[in-house]
Amino acid sequence: MMRTSVRFSLLTALAGIAAVLFAGCCRNDARGGFDPADAPDIRPELAEYYEEHSDFFRFRTLDDIPDDLEWTDNMHLPDIGSPEARKGGVQRGSMGDFPRTLRVVGPEANNAFRRFILDDMLVGLAGLHPNVPGGHKSYPGVAQEWAVDYENRTVYARLNPDARWSDGEPVTVDDVMFMFFFYQSAYINDPWYNNWYGIGINYTNITKYDEHTLSITMREARPDLERRILNLRPLPKHFFREMGDDFVQRYQWRFMPTTGPYVITDEEIERIRFNRDSITLTRLKDWWARDLKFYRNRFNADQIRLRVIRDTPKAFEAFLLGHLDMFGMNLTEYNYDMLPDDHPLVRDGFIHKSTFYNDIPRPSWGLWINSSMPHLDNNDIRIGIHYALNWDQVLEQFFRGDYVRMQTTADGYGDMTHPDIRARPFDPDRAMEFFAKAGFTERGSDGILRNERGQRLSFNINTGAAPFRGILAILRQEARKAGLELRLEILDPSANWLKVQEKNHDIAFVGLNVSVERYPRYWETYHSSNAYHDAFLEDGTPNPDRRVRTQTNNMQVIANFELDQLIERYDESDCLDEMRELAFRMEEILHEDASFVPAFVFPKFRVAYWRWVRWPDDFNVRFAREPTEYYVHWFDEERRAETELAVRPGGWLARFIPGAARDVGEVPARFPKKVRVFDQWLAVPEDVLEE
Amino acid sequence: MRLNPLTVKKIKRFKSLRRGYYSLIIMGALLLVAVFAELFVNNRALVVYYEGSLRFPTYGSQIAGTEFGFDYSHETNYRDLRDRLRAEGGGFVIMPPVPFGPQEDAYPGEFIRPRPPDFGNRNFLGTDTQNRDVLARLVYGFRNAMIFAFGFVGGVYLLGIAIGCAMGYFGGWFDLITQRFIEIWSNIPFLYTVIFVSSVFEPSLLLLLGIIVAFSWTGMTYYMRTGTFKEKAREYVAAAQILGASTSRIIFHHILPNIIATLVTFMPFLMITAITSLTALDFLGYGLPEPTPSWGELLRQGTERLKIAPWITLSAFAAMTVVLTLMAFVGEAVREAFDPKKFTIYE
Repeated sequence: MMRTSVRFSLLTALAGIAAVLFAGCCRNDARGGFDPADAPDIRPELAEYYEEHSDFFRFRTLDDIPDDLEWTDNMHLPDIGSPEARKGGVQRGSMGDFPRTLRVVGPEANNAFRRFILDDMLVGLAGLHPNVPGGHKSYPGVAQEWAVDYENRTVYARLNPDARWSDGEPVTVDDVMFMFFFYQSAYINDPWYNNWYGIGINYTNITKYDEHTLSITMREARPDLERRILNLRPLPKHFFREMGDDFVQRYQWRFMPTTGPYVITDEEIERIRFNRDSITLTRLKDWWARDLKFYRNRFNADQIRLRVIRDTPKAFEAFLLGHLDMFGMNLTEYNYDMLPDDHPLVRDGFIHKSTFYNDIPRPSWGLWINSSMPHLDNNDIRIGIHYALNWDQVLEQFFRGDYVRMQTTADGYGDMTHPDIRARPFDPDRAMEFFAKAGFTERGSDGILRNERGQRLSFNINTGAAPFRGILAILRQEARKAGLELRLEILDPSANWLKVQEKNHDIAFVGLNVSVERYPRYWETYHSSNAYHDAFLEDGTPNPDRRVRTQTNNMQVIANFELDQLIERYDESDCLDEMRELAFRMEEILHEDASFVPAFVFPKFRVAYWRWVRWPDDFNVRFAREPTEYYVHWFDEERRAETELAVRPGGWLARFIPGAARDVGEVPARFPKKVRVFDQWLAVPEDVLEE
Repeated sequence: MRLNPLTVKKIKRFKSLRRGYYSLIIMGALLLVAVFAELFVNNRALVVYYEGSLRFPTYGSQIAGTEFGFDYSHETNYRDLRDRLRAEGGGFVIMPPVPFGPQEDAYPGEFIRPRPPDFGNRNFLGTDTQNRDVLARLVYGFRNAMIFAFGFVGGVYLLGIAIGCAMGYFGGWFDLITQRFIEIWSNIPFLYTVIFVSSVFEPSLLLLLGIIVAFSWTGMTYYMRTGTFKEKAREYVAAAQILGASTSRIIFHHILPNIIATLVTFMPFLMITAITSLTALDFLGYGLPEPTPSWGELLRQGTERLKIAPWITLSAFAAMTVVLTLMAFVGEAVREAFDPKKFTIYE
């Protein structure tokens, strides 16, 4: 029977999956199956490397430090988090997939789990204070004070002698030096790090004065020199002693000692060899920074437990059952249909909702038009496409007014964002004017414009963001009004990314994530060297034989000679005013070029959480991109017990299931409803919605 | 047309099996509706009487809004036109019973969210997560599924019969090698291949059909091979060979008609396989490209929102159950009607 054969194939597929999983399990033990006895020793090579690059890695004495430096520690800045925060409890979250490695660099290390062991956790030289308005200020991390020598593009820093790795080893200047060696090394198999930290690329020197004093020099004197150096994070030299050709496998499942508050214990590493349904991080009870200002009110949960829940709807169900503490409500549908404000759990105060507005750079959602494709290389067509896209309807219908239109390629950089450029509105008539200029004048029998040669005005539009498929459906339907056909292609996120990186797309609907920085970056996305190999001839005219360059973020394949000059000047500038002027000019060029269609930004984040999750009075810090990024929340275990008691043996459930009511003593069946809106610029929440 | 008395007997037998016979009639009616779906479920009007002339926009090219006095050049919105003519007079518009296309926003300008059935707006089964009419998507999804199913049956038969017969007829090394090939081939995980292919290429009906047929024809070869082996040894084949008939003539004119009965009984079940496979792939998100209407896509949407929009899952599930049950009934009846045991006389 045919049916049998199909089922047989499915069985085979399952067997295949099982085989892969088991193979994965066997490879994994606390030391990655590698015997420490035959481990390579990186130290001789390290010494040799330092000697070979003695300009980069320098050793001096304390006497060589200039006397006229002004040391600062910014201890006057406000504390982060709330003094009411209490330690304890378990943070229960979910992840879509089990991490494929515990390494923080190298293949597959750039995964969603990394923030729990690196990005949000590992304490660097000094942090960016997330809660002071105006210019970016640093607060002490591993370095307890620092001095900026702007003229020589150098920052000096003194490490905190108390700083410790989670395995008890002290943090020293050697670890900072080693960090450069590590990132420059070919063993880590990670070209991005090799490039960024490469000798003379961004950093030109690190000097050790004693175990706790160092200086680092950059190639260019950028306005944010201090931040670019102080956000560096030392790496545990002693842990990576076994580095070698087999680095990727050897460190695949080993937890790197951290300067941060949470570790994965050896028992946990052992456990996840066999059981990959969750992973738990445990707070270090004697963390070196636990009583320091800026840290004492943060990182409060004793444990962070992350369960693998593959589908968002399932994670949401787990949240409603109280198995997860929080759930992001950024998606319109979840906020208004799945868990509306009058949902029993919200109405009766079991689940609180908070919306937090802040002004930081946001992911640049938009349509990236590949201008190396036929027809799309025509500026009129691209402008026509701009006018043919009904983003207003998307904002109204899909986002119900929650999101706002993005206007430039770099919104949210404060005074570095162009104030006047406005994204083109939906206007089918104007769109058709521009299409007509490009020769598309007649509508065919299907309503799509055609040119003289009978070619249809039709493009592929691909995305990996499945939750946003509805957006494309609206755009597609509305674009037909202007005679433009958009063929939708919803791909798996990695397949989509591959397609875009190979520059095989017509139009890609992609959002690039950005970090909180003082000014936007242009080189990666707009410089011609990321669009073509040898884009221009000597005289600045386009090279007729140029080939498209793949694997870069210039997804518009934009190559504009003037823009190149501006980007180069911008990247070398040390004056914020000049950079602003250049940035504005570049935004104007990009607006004219019309190969990027700015889509929308969500100028806030929204989260629903059980009432036992507590937050500071002003909810969060200003630079937070998501609620848990700075770990200012804490868990009120008394409330948890009280709430669970109220939910489980009766409580609100009794109203739906007859007979479920039981005597629950003093526990109230409902709590005050809390649906609140916070604004980063206001100290007190607007209690307009609170009942 | 004169039918073989045996065939007449089989048809008679089939007709006497009431459940299967009526199922076939209902399926036929559904197919007919699917073929002419544009007349029942469509955003184009059936008839427009405007300024003294009659027009039938259902089939044919788009009619620009300007032709009916609107100020836009894209396709006329006939529901707007109907409302306008009702208010102003000067003509009339007759819309199909369900006045929505399968890819159309049934609540233009309003929030995108699933809406329960609303008879006033003629959304008889409610809308899906894109404000699209569920009934419209079911009907056009059914059409796509049936196109797919017929394509699947055709493809599997073509490959299965050709290769199976060749194996049985030629035997020897060819048979041996092809059998080994089939064994290896059927061990390639089908689902992985589909996932892999549809992440590299843009999935389309033809591509999916190709993949699924490529992994499904092998089962058919076994039946054809044994059937051909058996028939090949009969005297009438030898007689034909002596008369000088060509190989293809012997296979297609002499052997095939004698083993065709097996094939026919497979057909309804093959179609069930095709529909469930397509639905499963769509459900997993590796099926037809957006925004092609499909049952699997409806089921996926619905199961993610069981609490807030049960009508999506209910509709798609009910439709699937009905169609698959009807097909199974037809299949059972066909098998029984073609069961040789009924007519075989053992001597």
